Amino acid sequence: MKVVTGVVGNDIHVVANRLIDLSLRARGFEVFNLGVNTYLEEFFDAVVETGADVLLISSLNGEAEGWSREVKPLKAKYKNLDNLIMMIGGNLVVGSGDAEQIVPKYKNYGFDLVCHQIDLNTGLDWLEELIEKRNLK
Amino acid sequence: MSLLQEEREIILSNEFVDTFDFAEVTEFVKNASKDLFISHRFKNSDKMLVQPRGGFPTYKKQFALNEFFVEANVDVLPLTIDSNTRLNDYATASKMLRLSEENDVDMLNGYPLVNHGYRTTRKMITHFNKPVSLRHGTPDARLLIETAIASGIFEIEGGPITYLLPYSKNFPLDKAFLYWKYVERVCANYSELNEPINRESFGPLTATLVPPAITIVIQLLEMLLSLEEGVKSFSVSFSQTGSMNQDIVMGAVIKKMARYYAEQINCGDADIHLVYHQWMGAFPMNKDYAEQLINMSTVIASMVGADKIITKTREEAAGIPTKEANAKTVANTQYTLRILNGLPTIVDEEEEEILTLEVKAIMEAVFNDPADTLWRKVFNSIKNGIIDVPFSPHIINHNEMITIRDAKKNIRIIKRGNVPIPDRCYEYEKAQCDLTKDTTSIVNDIVHDIGIMQ
Repeated sequence: MKVVTGVVGNDIHVVANRLIDLSLRARGFEVFNLGVNTYLEEFFDAVVETGADVLLISSLNGEAEGWSREVKPLKAKYKNLDNLIMMIGGNLVVGSGDAEQIVPKYKNYGFDLVCHQIDLNTGLDWLEELIEKRNLK
Repeated sequence: MSLLQEEREIILSNEFVDTFDFAEVTEFVKNASKDLFISHRFKNSDKMLVQPRGGFPTYKKQFALNEFFVEANVDVLPLTIDSNTRLNDYATASKMLRLSEENDVDMLNGYPLVNHGYRTTRKMITHFNKPVSLRHGTPDARLLIETAIASGIFEIEGGPITYLLPYSKNFPLDKAFLYWKYVERVCANYSELNEPINRESFGPLTATLVPPAITIVIQLLEMLLSLEEGVKSFSVSFSQTGSMNQDIVMGAVIKKMARYYAEQINCGDADIHLVYHQWMGAFPMNKDYAEQLINMSTVIASMVGADKIITKTREEAAGIPTKEANAKTVANTQYTLRILNGLPTIVDEEEEEILTLEVKAIMEAVFNDPADTLWRKVFNSIKNGIIDVPFSPHIINHNEMITIRDAKKNIRIIKRGNVPIPDRCYEYEKAQCDLTKDTTSIVNDIVHDIGIMQ
């Protein structure tokens, strides 16, 4: 199973990105890590290029929200991405926010899994459950 | 006219420079007070020099910060440059400087030296008459360094590797080598006029589980790249690892290796110094704990035998420190150094031997690269993963090496990637760690290891 991952926007926090990469590989995924400072177009281009099943976007500095608003219109420009699992995680707001409000908001932006300040392994367990549910494995 | 001089005239004809007077600057450096040269201070003092960090946008605030530092008995003043200048965006720096001046709110995270210019800045530097160290993070620092030296700043931090791999995703590394070659040559040329300009490398790198062998190799390579251009005074550096023993071993090995490799390229006449950074990783939010950590760093720096220590503040976890907190750290560190007497000498021969073998093996692999110049050999070695910096965001970095802490908090290599760690050393490193765990627990350990001081 192929995953494209990276940190969205002008965010250069690299530590979690490396740990996500490492953890995904340990779980048997084939990882295409675009690293920090990645723009939305680059994510979708990479998904098309690699034929990935999952797109896992992370963010620490909170600017993900501004970018996420663009997800639906941008994704609509690409063909054959309907089955792509969209996941986002990290710190998803600037300042502090309430997960009960943040999760529905991001689901509305087009994400299947939203992990706001969720432990990395818990988030990846959710991903595996969703994949199983969709019988992709 | 030499090629270098032609390039200098192009760089200095930048629209943000108010006519650079080459002849006047040369006269100034020639006649500058010896007290401005840290290289002179190193030669004439056995005391560990204390240098804080700090930079404010306006002249007035920077001046006030320096007054606080001098009051706290500082040895070396810092001048930290704002992030726009680091990216050569002088137009934004100029706008933000004006906003900071007009509104009394700091709109920059450092001093925009190019915009202030050398005529203005020199007044401040010569007023305090203490060595100043330029702290930045600039891949293309040509204009910045010209302005710094013309201002009377005779210590320049940075290098093509240490200012790029921790800070940038895709600035071209080959360009960084060439831009820094310019810096080395300018420093070397000015060094002939008076005391030498000191160059200092930035050893902390990403400050996240970087193993000693990688830190030392990069320190040695930046030193060699500098000395081969004619620089006569150079500081290698590293930051607190989290294990006192590992720090002491690292200090011993880096000193020996620096001397050894400098002599290998017939630059044994250069002065080489050791700089120690107080803990550069994540700090505790509790300010009293932060002070304890800083104090412990000072003790270790003394055990290591550093020539200079660079300080943190009790406000580290909260953001840019106030001038009061910054000066307090200087006074506290000076106090600790004054009362630290009769320190024992600790030598760990086994660890020293392992680390020395690792450093020599990586250096040999770099030298064996078929490229014709040292910078190209180093460039290729980074590109093919012979040098691999954990947690670098740069696309050229390999990210194949994995490190964790052992039970004594030493940083150990558990996956070497393409880095030519000799088998014996690799087995030794792995033997110190519990590797029966699965990767998920190891990732949890890494998260814990990064935050050990919090």
